[in-house]
Amino acid sequence: MTTSVQSFPRTLRLPSLDRAAVWIVLVVLVLLAGLVSDAFFKLNYLTNLVRQAAPVGITAVGVTFVMLLRGVDLSVGAIVSMSAVVCALVMGGKVDNLWLGIAAAIACGSAVGLANGLLIAYGKGSAFILTLGMSIVVYGLVQMGTGGTARGIVSPGFRETLNGRIGGVLPVLVICLLLAVAVGIFLQSRTRFGRNAYLIGANPDAARLAGLPVSRVTVVAYMVSGFFAALGGLALLARTGVSGTNPGAGMEFDVLAAVVLGGTTFSGGRGGVGGTFAGVLVLIIALNLANVAGLPFAAQLAVKGAIIIAASAAYSWIGRRGGGLGRE
Amino acid sequence: MRPLQATALACQRLPRIYWALFLLVLAGLVSTPQFGTAANLANVLEQSATLAILALGQAAVIAGGMIDLSVGQLVGLITVVACMLFEAYPAMSLPIIAVCLGLAAFVGLVNGELVNRLRMSPLILTFGMLSILQGAIFMLTDRSVGQAPPVMTFLANGRIAGIPASLLLVAAIAVGAWYLLQRSVFGWHLLAIGNSAESARKAGLNLASRTRTAFVLSGLCAGIAGLLVAGRLGTGFPNAGSGLELDSIVAVVLGGTLLKGGRVSVAGILGAVLFLGVLSNILNLLQVPAFTQIVVKGLIVIAAILVDRPREAAAA
Repeated sequence: MTTSVQSFPRTLRLPSLDRAAVWIVLVVLVLLAGLVSDAFFKLNYLTNLVRQAAPVGITAVGVTFVMLLRGVDLSVGAIVSMSAVVCALVMGGKVDNLWLGIAAAIACGSAVGLANGLLIAYGKGSAFILTLGMSIVVYGLVQMGTGGTARGIVSPGFRETLNGRIGGVLPVLVICLLLAVAVGIFLQSRTRFGRNAYLIGANPDAARLAGLPVSRVTVVAYMVSGFFAALGGLALLARTGVSGTNPGAGMEFDVLAAVVLGGTTFSGGRGGVGGTFAGVLVLIIALNLANVAGLPFAAQLAVKGAIIIAASAAYSWIGRRGGGLGRE
Repeated sequence: MRPLQATALACQRLPRIYWALFLLVLAGLVSTPQFGTAANLANVLEQSATLAILALGQAAVIAGGMIDLSVGQLVGLITVVACMLFEAYPAMSLPIIAVCLGLAAFVGLVNGELVNRLRMSPLILTFGMLSILQGAIFMLTDRSVGQAPPVMTFLANGRIAGIPASLLLVAAIAVGAWYLLQRSVFGWHLLAIGNSAESARKAGLNLASRTRTAFVLSGLCAGIAGLLVAGRLGTGFPNAGSGLELDSIVAVVLGGTLLKGGRVSVAGILGAVLFLGVLSNILNLLQVPAFTQIVVKGLIVIAAILVDRPREAAAA
């Protein structure tokens, strides 16, 4: 037991090029962006870029754990929406309700994640469809709660603090994103939960036979995903200041793209939060490049798609090792 | 005894979704008198046609262990292109239809070729394609444009000998899909690839060719669905297809097709599409508020996948 646990991570760490791939893509994109725009390497611009990435990035940290376990979480977009709406509603524009609003949002997100985890661990249904169904349910509940119009006001100070810059330079949301990534990296590499997630994702049957708590780890992973999605919703609320009714719509796809770009594939057991962070940056810079190039919104959508494909293709090309099909 | 045994066997083989459909129809008959009328039932069938065609195309890709997220926006693109072209060239309905189907199949071909050549995850690739197609649509128009050719309007709303034309179209496509996926060599190979791409490759199957064909079929079905949507709406609505990709995946999976590939059931998909159509029809007739309907739909998706579990586990 001990030897197998100790030797396994070593084989996981071996494919260095595999892990470096997304970073190579990131560096190329950054250089490209520098060529396209003079402003790109200015500190303000860079920090602003990373600040934009905060909602998707924080959410993607949680989804990484689910993907490590060969799962997927399509409900995060809806959880982001719910978190923003619940937080604004509970705050109701009062300073006193600041922490209550934040706590309520996080509690709701974690609860949905818990429900996802229980259904997937003990219901044994397809995670793709289950979390899709959950996202529909949560979206419906949010709409019922708001009545279809934007309600709820954030507490004074909430947006000012979170969307501000420390010393006029470093945006608070960037720190939040880095913190989330740091917590994620700690979880994956320093806790039993993280190690189990890798082992179970690499081979669920073997993990079960070896007596690892597969169901429990699954439940925790989806809860972590819901928790981070709730934080992502708070970050989004901090950026926009108004909750709207469905601010997280479609975000699950951005998150998924970022995680997969980062090297945590659908086959599980490989990748990690570090790669996800790079994946998020690749995605955000790609979108920004299209924006900087002065393209109209429609063309930006097309370019976004092309860049996702190109980056992912480059990634799989760099990361491909011996005869793999690269399908998953 | 013979017929009885045969019936029992048929019931056993019947995809589970038909039991849910049966119960749902019973509930509909009991809860609202409008449900059982011929006009309403025909309406449900007509409304379900688009999703049925889209889901059958999606099934080809999913059977091979892949996924196609681009079909929804492809429906939107074809709807817009068809209506714009018809407004510009009103005399050329049939060539326009041919061009649209060609375009849709070409998008499928591009998907398939890229999956083959770039060796990337179909999910990411078709997600990128979703975005590209969305961009293409909005480059063409940001509001409803043009007009649907009468051929398409007839296809969507017309009747042949009292039977909705769209129903006949679905039936034809379903038979084709059943043959291709469950009876032909192509289908066997595709399912083998879905079961284990690695084993299929070692057995000497031509993965690239099967993958390409599966995506072309999916694109083609999205094209037909797009024409049908144009016919129903009468005009090219740019957002006509958004979200349809997920609906199609839900229908395929509810019908008992494994998302990881290797098993497919055309009959199950048709049952699942009907189930979703009947459900939304009953909720509408009962005047359930839109937001509540959304919640119910989500819960049904969750419940259905959980009920389907034992069989899936047995097959896996």
